[in-house]
Order: sequence, then C-alpha cells, then structure tokens
Amino acid sequence: MALLELKAVSRHFGGVRAVDGLDLSVEQGQVFGLLGPNGSGKRTTVNLVSGLFPLSSGSVTFQGNSLDGLATHLRLQTGIARTFQNIRLFGQLSVWQNLWVAQNSPQDRARHGFFARWLGGQSGAREEILPLLEFSGLAHKQDELASNLSFGEQRRLELARAMATRPKLLLLDEPAAGMNSEEVGQLRERILSLRGSGVTILLVEHVMELVMGVTDCIAVLNFGQKIAEGTPAEIQANPAVRKAYLGGETA
Amino acid sequence: MLDFFQSLSDGVLFGSTYALIGIGFTLVFGVMHKLNLSYAAASVGGAYCGLLVLQVFAGAPPVVVFFCAFLAGGLLGWLVYLTCFHFIPISNPLATLMATVGMLLLIDEIIVHLTAGMPVGYPAMFDDVMLRMGEFTVRGDLLMVFAVSMLCMGGLLALLYKTRLGLATRAVSQQTVAALLCGIRVGQVNAMTFVITGLLGGIAGAMIGASVGTLSPLLTTPLTTKGLIVTVIGGLGSVPGAIIAGLLVGGFENVLQQYRGVTERDLYVMLLLFVFLVFRPGGLFAPKGGRD
Repeated sequence: MALLELKAVSRHFGGVRAVDGLDLSVEQGQVFGLLGPNGSGKRTTVNLVSGLFPLSSGSVTFQGNSLDGLATHLRLQTGIARTFQNIRLFGQLSVWQNLWVAQNSPQDRARHGFFARWLGGQSGAREEILPLLEFSGLAHKQDELASNLSFGEQRRLELARAMATRPKLLLLDEPAAGMNSEEVGQLRERILSLRGSGVTILLVEHVMELVMGVTDCIAVLNFGQKIAEGTPAEIQANPAVRKAYLGGETA
Repeated sequence: MLDFFQSLSDGVLFGSTYALIGIGFTLVFGVMHKLNLSYAAASVGGAYCGLLVLQVFAGAPPVVVFFCAFLAGGLLGWLVYLTCFHFIPISNPLATLMATVGMLLLIDEIIVHLTAGMPVGYPAMFDDVMLRMGEFTVRGDLLMVFAVSMLCMGGLLALLYKTRLGLATRAVSQQTVAALLCGIRVGQVNAMTFVITGLLGGIAGAMIGASVGTLSPLLTTPLTTKGLIVTVIGGLGSVPGAIIAGLLVGGFENVLQQYRGVTERDLYVMLLLFVFLVFRPGGLFAPKGGRD
C-alpha cells in the first residue's frame, strides 16, 4: 500500500484548474520528485496535502486513512511536515525556539496536563533539540534570532523545524531555491540521509541537478495534469516532458 | 519646578493603568492582526463586576474586589472572543472590527442601565498613606496601583517569554501558517490571548477605580482613546512599547493638566499622537517584520 495516495484530485480557483484530476502514489521510503513548469500545479498539490486549503474534488489518503476535512494543525499528528519556498520561520524567536515550537507537538503535549502543557518551561527541551541542530549544522547558532541567519542557514533551519515534528512524510517546496551549488550538494546529502532514516520525501524542485540526483521516481505536471511518471532516466528521455519545458518558452 | 515633578510622578504612576490597557490592545493586534475596540469597555465592565462581591459580602476587603475584577475581566475577554471573533469570518477585517464596536456599545449600555448612569464609589487601599520627601509627596494608593500594574506586566512578560503558551503565542503572531503546520491550534491560542488580556484589563479597570475613587460609565470612551493612543505610540504589537508609552502618556497628560487645566490636557495628548504619527509612525518599538 502506498504511503500517500492522491485519487482524481482537483482544485479550482474560480475558473482556473490549478490541479485537474491528479493521481499520484508515493511509496514508503521513496524520494518522489514533482516537476513541471511554473504554474503547473506542483505547489497547489503540496498545499492540498498539507491542508492549507480544501480539495475541490477527489481524495487524499495517507497510510490508508483519508485526510479529507482533517484540520491543518492535526495533519502534523498523522506524520506530515513541510517546508516553504518562501521561508516561513518564526523570525523573532531564536533558532532553538523555532525547533521547540515544532517539537512541542500534540504527541508530546498529550503526555502533560493542562498546566504543564501551557505553562511548562523550557527545561529539558534544549537537550532533545541538540541532535537536530547538529544535523543541520546550526548548533553554534542556537541562540541567534532566526531572522538574523543567512539565507542558507534559514533554509536549513526550516528543514530542521519540519524534522522536529518527527514526520513520516516530508514535503519539500523548492528547498534549493536561491542556493549555490555547494549548498545544493549539502542539501542533497541531507535528503539522502533523511531517506536513509526512513522518511518519505515529496520534493518539488526546479534545480535538475538535485532532482535527478536524489529521486527514485518523478511525476511531471503541466496545466494541473500529470503528463509523465517514471525514473529520472525515463523522465529525461520523455519527449512530452521536453515539449512542456522547452515547447513554448525556455523555462 | 516642584509642581512639575509632583504632577509628573503622579501621572506616571497612574499611567501604569494606561500601559495595561495598551498591552491589551497591542497583544491582540500582535497575535491576530485585529483591533478589539471593546477592550477598554470590557475592562471597566470587569471592574464593575468586582463590585458585585460587595453586594454578597458587604465589607469584603478591597483586595477581594480587585481579584474578582481580575477574574471577571478574563471571563469577559473570553466572551468577547466568542462573540466577536470565534463565530465571525476572521478573513473579513471589517466584520470583527464592527462586532467589537457593537460590543463596546453593548457593555457601555449595560453599565449605564444597571447603575442608572451614576458614578459608584470604588474601594481603595493605602489611600490614607502619604509618603513625604520634603514638599514632594507620593500618594500611597497611586503607589499601590503602580505596584499592582507592574506585577501584572511582569507576570505577562514571564508568561510570554518563559512558557510554552507564550512561545505558541509568539509563534502564531510571527507566522500563523507555519504555526498551524507545527501543530499549534491557532484558535485556542487566540482565545487564550483574549482571556489573558481580559485578566489584565479587569485589574486595570479596578486600579483606575481605586485611584480615582469612583467608577463611571463615562470612563469607557476616554479609556478606549487613551488605550489606542498608547498602542500606536508604543508601536502596534509591541508589549514593551505599550508599557513605556503608557507611562509616558500618563506623565505627559498630568503635567499638562497641571499647567493648562483638565479641559485642555487631552488636546495635547492628541498632539503628542500627531507628532508620533508624523515623525515616528511605527511607534517607539515598531516590531520588525517576520510575518508575510
């Protein structure tokens, strides 16, 4: 059974069919790439899975359970986390507090009573967070305000924050946007290491070097519909994909 | 010169109540990006509710009255959240704003109706104490008002910066969408914000009653105006800004009352607001960006 399954998913914005009858199935442990020209519905797909807005029609199932109508803040409990292309950190919180917010997850909170849950302090939280900070290379900056970090560090922190929720499925929305090739190389290592630890990843990305290097399977969207699916090698050879990317204008 | 320092110190001490009201406006604005115009009225309402204790236990000590005002303020804050925010489409900024205006008028009318529009006496503490340093004096009741207000602010800052609730509150105010995806129930955090600001408002209302000696429905409109001025001068969304601006406005208006009279002083407060809007429109501590 697939970990994440989209069946005939559509999302309309007025008359625009941003996603139009999309079928996708992401297997446990895969790094699944989502490609397509600008405006092809990739980000809408990620937003639908993370619950930022409802489906117009179709269904999304995660681990065999339907996500329809599940409130956004509860999706985390099922094991879905994401990052954003335009970074959305808590800018006026310190680096480790950004992770603390995420780690302050419902699973953790359910263990505490009302007062411990809301009025509890920070004791113990920092030690739990340290391994993640080291994984992201941010341990030396843990007391810095998130807004003072460099662009690359902010991207790393956002990935770490998503990981702090201990997800089964991680949605990465253009994690390499604006990165130089050295940073892309580091990101690639991180993604592969996450896959090694059993996290399934849905990757939306334009940087081909990254997509072709880490994905097991790729789906290509155009005008909200899937035009191709296969391994990176198959996608590179696919004439329909070449036409979508190079046909009208060079992307 | 002595007059100047005397009125400045009295004004700054009383200004701590303005600071509490300003915090109430600014905290809700920071977290939800909405104005709750009923806040000052609810605070006065909370102070009136404190008086109900005296109906049940005549002769209850003032501190019990204050505590009941504190609790009633929190309850009113929650009711305002339910009626003006919870069931009203949050994406429509005007809907919630008008709902809070309606709530302001409703609370005002209820107070007028129940008290027949007459001012009622309010218990004070230490009102017979007077600290003297030569000619310069500090009124004991004002000192108590200042101390209680500062205590509440300290509690609020500890809550905001030391607890999970504060962390969640700040996360929601900085990045609502990301907070939602980090599993924070944004609606619950918003409701808590209203309860907490309501508690502060109840104590602010009680402190105003204690230092003036009476409560009157005529208080709500000027207090709303002062609260908003304090919020703007402090910087919308900034708690430290509201504290400093509250003390500043309190001292400023009292000095001008001394020299220009009670009928003129609010003109100068408006002028101060005008100066800030022209030269420092973001207020003393305009919060940095961090929200899209």
